[in-house]
Amino acid sequence: MSIAHSQNLNVLLQEIEGIQLTFHNPRRLRADIAAEALPALLALLRGRASYVHLSAISCVDWIDDNQFELVYHLWSYETSVLISAHIRVPRDPGIYLSVFDIYTPAAFFERDIHEMFGLYFEGSPDMSKFILTEWNGPPPMRKDFDSEKWVMETFSWQQYHPDWLQELEQQGGGIVSTPESIRAGNRPMENKS
Amino acid sequence: MRPENYQAVNHPPSHEFELNFGPNHPGIEGNFALKVKLQGDIVVEARTDAGYLHRGFEKLMEDRLWIQNIALVPRICVPDPVPMEVCYSLAVEDLANIEVPERAQWIRVLQLELSRIAAHLFFFGGHAATTGMYTPMYWGVADRDLLLDLFEELTGGRIYSIYNLPGGVRQDVPEGFLQRVSDTLDYIDGRLKDYDNLFFTNQIFVKRARGVGTINQQQALDWSVTGPNLRACGLEFDVRRDDPYLIYPQLDFDIPTEQAGDALARTLVRRLEMVESIRIIRQVIKALPDIKGPLRTPIPNPLAWRVPAGESYARVESSKGEVAYYVVSNGGEKPYRVHIRGPSAMHAVQVLEKLAVGSRLEDIAQTIFSLDACPPEVDR
Repeated sequence: MSIAHSQNLNVLLQEIEGIQLTFHNPRRLRADIAAEALPALLALLRGRASYVHLSAISCVDWIDDNQFELVYHLWSYETSVLISAHIRVPRDPGIYLSVFDIYTPAAFFERDIHEMFGLYFEGSPDMSKFILTEWNGPPPMRKDFDSEKWVMETFSWQQYHPDWLQELEQQGGGIVSTPESIRAGNRPMENKS
Repeated sequence: MRPENYQAVNHPPSHEFELNFGPNHPGIEGNFALKVKLQGDIVVEARTDAGYLHRGFEKLMEDRLWIQNIALVPRICVPDPVPMEVCYSLAVEDLANIEVPERAQWIRVLQLELSRIAAHLFFFGGHAATTGMYTPMYWGVADRDLLLDLFEELTGGRIYSIYNLPGGVRQDVPEGFLQRVSDTLDYIDGRLKDYDNLFFTNQIFVKRARGVGTINQQQALDWSVTGPNLRACGLEFDVRRDDPYLIYPQLDFDIPTEQAGDALARTLVRRLEMVESIRIIRQVIKALPDIKGPLRTPIPNPLAWRVPAGESYARVESSKGEVAYYVVSNGGEKPYRVHIRGPSAMHAVQVLEKLAVGSRLEDIAQTIFSLDACPPEVDR
């Protein structure tokens, strides 16, 4: 990025109140702002700073802080700098604003985040199920959803003990340790029925 | 949706009727469906139905070591798996502040470009089949096989190579490998003329593809179209040049563009890209023997490797467009969060839904294939 571009961008971004800018490297700029200021920042970047490409919206579940972090990755074809705008929204009640009116592709990412994290975006055109059409459980990408535990509770185990395995075991071979026993610290194999 | 969960709906009398296009349909790419509403044979509404390939990679990756995830990522895009490995590795290297040795970077570029040619051969074979021409499909798949042989020799795996690791690549190129790459490229280069006669300048295809699924520049930018599909609208943008990674700045290559933005232009851009990829690989073949040095920067014990806390957004130009990985670490042995942005997530859902409206039923398959949509990138 040229120095002139960089200065212009800096001046422009200072219009947003409480913005914190950090350059991770010359082509990656991190912007931390309050959740209320994000639509204004995006409108500014798209309207006046050539940031027309919304690369992605990522969601991170910071369960210890009881917050979702939303990261809007924006790319400018002219300045060749990627701005990642970070905001935090409370996990409960988990509602935020859609930026579909500023960036059309946001609709896909917002629908995806709603499905995977349960964060609702007000004003997004379509919040219906997309990938997990037949899933009625909690949003699976949340950190408090333990997929292994869910599998253990939902599916039943079947004993697989065919004749050839029994023969092997009589000769002193066979399955020495199951995945469960390894996880539990190499306990001797349990007989589940 | 599974058949047992389907419930019949009584629709009011209408001139429109609904048609399920996919998931098992020769005109759809992989396990992906499109529900179209038709008036006669004109599409009035199209809704994508994804999820048939959802394997929950992002969740699985949170439960595995940094190094284990390398075995997962190539499965996200079957026709073009190498950019996935490289992009994940780039993100982790950025987080851990690892410098990749130069030789490894050159080998990665070699592999990336071979993968691009293979993916394009696969792509145009598929696209030809949607217009009723089956010969290019067999030719494309057969010639792609020669490149897969090279992958097998280099990495041990024909499709999923699991060859790039954070820090570098697994092993050096075998003896005589570069010569065999060169021979294969000569062969493919010679075949391009046949492909032109058979497919790219074939009037059956040209007349059929012209004007199908047209995107203009403004729409392409508004809908986050990337890669060859963006370049088919006349915008000269390529992550390799504008957000460079590895040793791409040292290489000499052009970025082909077309103006029309329709299915024909998107195919021709990919045809021209094959030539550029061959050019890049020839430069690599020439330079690689003189570049000495290690193949990877040693990382700490991979089974107990704690990557410093932070976040990184890595981007790579795949054959389909911009692949990006957003990787977050909290200083643990496993990633805290990995978000994968596949280019087809845009192309196969939003762009396709818009382009399909107003087109004829028989053009949908062509629109999908010309966008080179890869369903597993949508589902992840």
